[in-house]
Amino acid sequence: MNRATFTLLALLLICALSLVAAQQRARKLFVAIEQVQNEERRLNQDWLRLEYEQRNLSKSSRIRDTARNQLHMSPISPERTLYIKESK
Amino acid sequence: MRPVGFSTTPNLVLRLPMWRSRLMLFMLFFVFMLLLLRAFWIQGPGNAFYEAKAVRGTQRELELPASRGKILDRNGNVIATSLEAKSVIAYNDTVPDDLSSEKIRQLANLLQMNESDLRKKLKEERKQVFLKRQVDPAVAQQIKQLEIPGIGLNNEYRRFYPEGEAMAHVVGFTNVEDRGQEGMELSHEKELAARPGQRRVVVDRLGRVVEDVAIEQEPQNGKDLQLSIDSKIQYLAYNAVKNAVEEHHAKAGGAVVLDTQTGEILALANYPSYNPNDRRNLTGEQLRNRVLTDTFEPGSTIKPFTISTALEKGAITPNTNMVIGASYLIGPKPITDTHPYGNLTVSQVIQKSSNIGTAKIAMNNLSPEEMWNMYSAVGFGQAPKIGFPGSVAGTLHPYQKWVPSDQARIAFGYGISASLFQVARAYTIFARDGELVPLTIQRSSEVKPGVRVISAKTAIEMRSMLETVTEPGGTAVKAQADGYRVGGKTGTAHKLVGKGYGNSYRAYFAGIAPISSPRIVVAVMVDEPTGGSHYGGDVAAPVFSTIVSETLRTLNVLPDANIKQMVSDDVKVPVENQATGLKAQQVVLKR
Repeated sequence: MNRATFTLLALLLICALSLVAAQQRARKLFVAIEQVQNEERRLNQDWLRLEYEQRNLSKSSRIRDTARNQLHMSPISPERTLYIKESK
Repeated sequence: MRPVGFSTTPNLVLRLPMWRSRLMLFMLFFVFMLLLLRAFWIQGPGNAFYEAKAVRGTQRELELPASRGKILDRNGNVIATSLEAKSVIAYNDTVPDDLSSEKIRQLANLLQMNESDLRKKLKEERKQVFLKRQVDPAVAQQIKQLEIPGIGLNNEYRRFYPEGEAMAHVVGFTNVEDRGQEGMELSHEKELAARPGQRRVVVDRLGRVVEDVAIEQEPQNGKDLQLSIDSKIQYLAYNAVKNAVEEHHAKAGGAVVLDTQTGEILALANYPSYNPNDRRNLTGEQLRNRVLTDTFEPGSTIKPFTISTALEKGAITPNTNMVIGASYLIGPKPITDTHPYGNLTVSQVIQKSSNIGTAKIAMNNLSPEEMWNMYSAVGFGQAPKIGFPGSVAGTLHPYQKWVPSDQARIAFGYGISASLFQVARAYTIFARDGELVPLTIQRSSEVKPGVRVISAKTAIEMRSMLETVTEPGGTAVKAQADGYRVGGKTGTAHKLVGKGYGNSYRAYFAGIAPISSPRIVVAVMVDEPTGGSHYGGDVAAPVFSTIVSETLRTLNVLPDANIKQMVSDDVKVPVENQATGLKAQQVVLKR
């Protein structure tokens, strides 16, 4: 009887300790997930911002301005365009 | 004598009445009962209160942010997007009263506010005051570094429009609460709007989130919206209109470009415009989407429809000869032309834009009902259903009410009104061999079936008549586009001022290109040109020309005009053209 009690007590203790450990681990993982999710959100926002900046830099008005004023290019005209038909 | 122990001295024996101990016992029992009852209450029926109390200490509601959907052009370029921004809030109970004026000055600088205004805001009675909304992230960071107690930052989204003025009337804008106010932002508010979610979490003693309890509402990002607008074509249309308005000292201008195959709106430009990124002055005239919300008497641009009705009926052919004369008396005032003509063929009536010719064709061959049916079939008098707020229907009075002078004047575009958009839409019947195409502002790639209004034969005849307008002898030689055959019709309408016609005009041009295989319909309007000529052929036609040649080149459409072409079926051709010595651009055409 004594031995059985001890065994059960030991088991109980082990279970209790592992529960604590599991809880601790769960919390740690949760914090990690939180961090990664925040990071995801941040990166998503960064991507949106970069997409916006890219669009801002590549918009027609800016291209036209740069081509005309900085690179001194002129618009193409049909007389100077070689049209090539794609063979089917 | 019996010895008596000290403790058993009979004199000292207490004779307590039995009830006292009973009472004691009962009281103890009663108190225990009370405790039991209380314990039962706490565990049982009264539990919710305590549970709520416990939850309040350890759980929090957090908002899960969601962002408004993006608006994209037909090529997937962003034309409206939401980026995170911060709003600056002052919690006035926490902001110290003796805040150093140095800090206030710095804060006012960062917020671009007046120092005294800021002080006033900080003195307000309200618990929390928005100092400024939608602050740039970089500025928000600097404000944080000032470390002023009671000044907090809140997460918000701010809408950005990279195309600015050029696209303003199409996309519209949102207000500070992220709700659409104009344009697509308003008409597609439901799809675009974001719904933030809510989650319940367990926090530890330091307020850190340690566990999820439940997600009470999933956050829902707004759906992205892809438009049929091509931002490149939109920009060049806007630019062309803007230049024309400035050159002719006009009040306003507008243009619309339609794809005749898919019914997509490729561009819809208005000038004057506004910058949707700057909310401070979003009021007044500049917000008007004139292409859709302004109606006008379409003038000569309606003549092709009147004449098509007669052609369709078989009453005339393009070569029918007519006597025009200097004036045509019908009703109270004679109808005149800008130049008197003797005889003209039907085709020349279009080419020279003869009012008398058109009126005579209508009066001699058509009944009011036939004319009304045609105008109505091409969409006059009905608001276009393309999901733009404020699209107007214009007026087309019932034919039963027309008197003969009405009929004659409606035939050349007076006494009827329409928006530029309606005129452009109507012209698709000539581009699509007689079919009216349903229009859309959302991207679609398939060729849309149209509704037949006139026969293909009439449409093709009318197309070649419209081409003569842009040829020498026509009213709009300036509409000719580099490399492409174009056709169209000018319009110059006297503007109604009060009850009569004043001294101001509207100049239009509506047309089709390329004539050999129509791909686009372009309509242009310039309102009240004042410097020099006010004729559609001088003011609006050059805008049409610019838009057409640049748009067709953007769409990689093969030139069909009689120029020295360099079209090769062989892909391995030299890039240098030997005849001209010019370096050529290689454009691979997908057919």
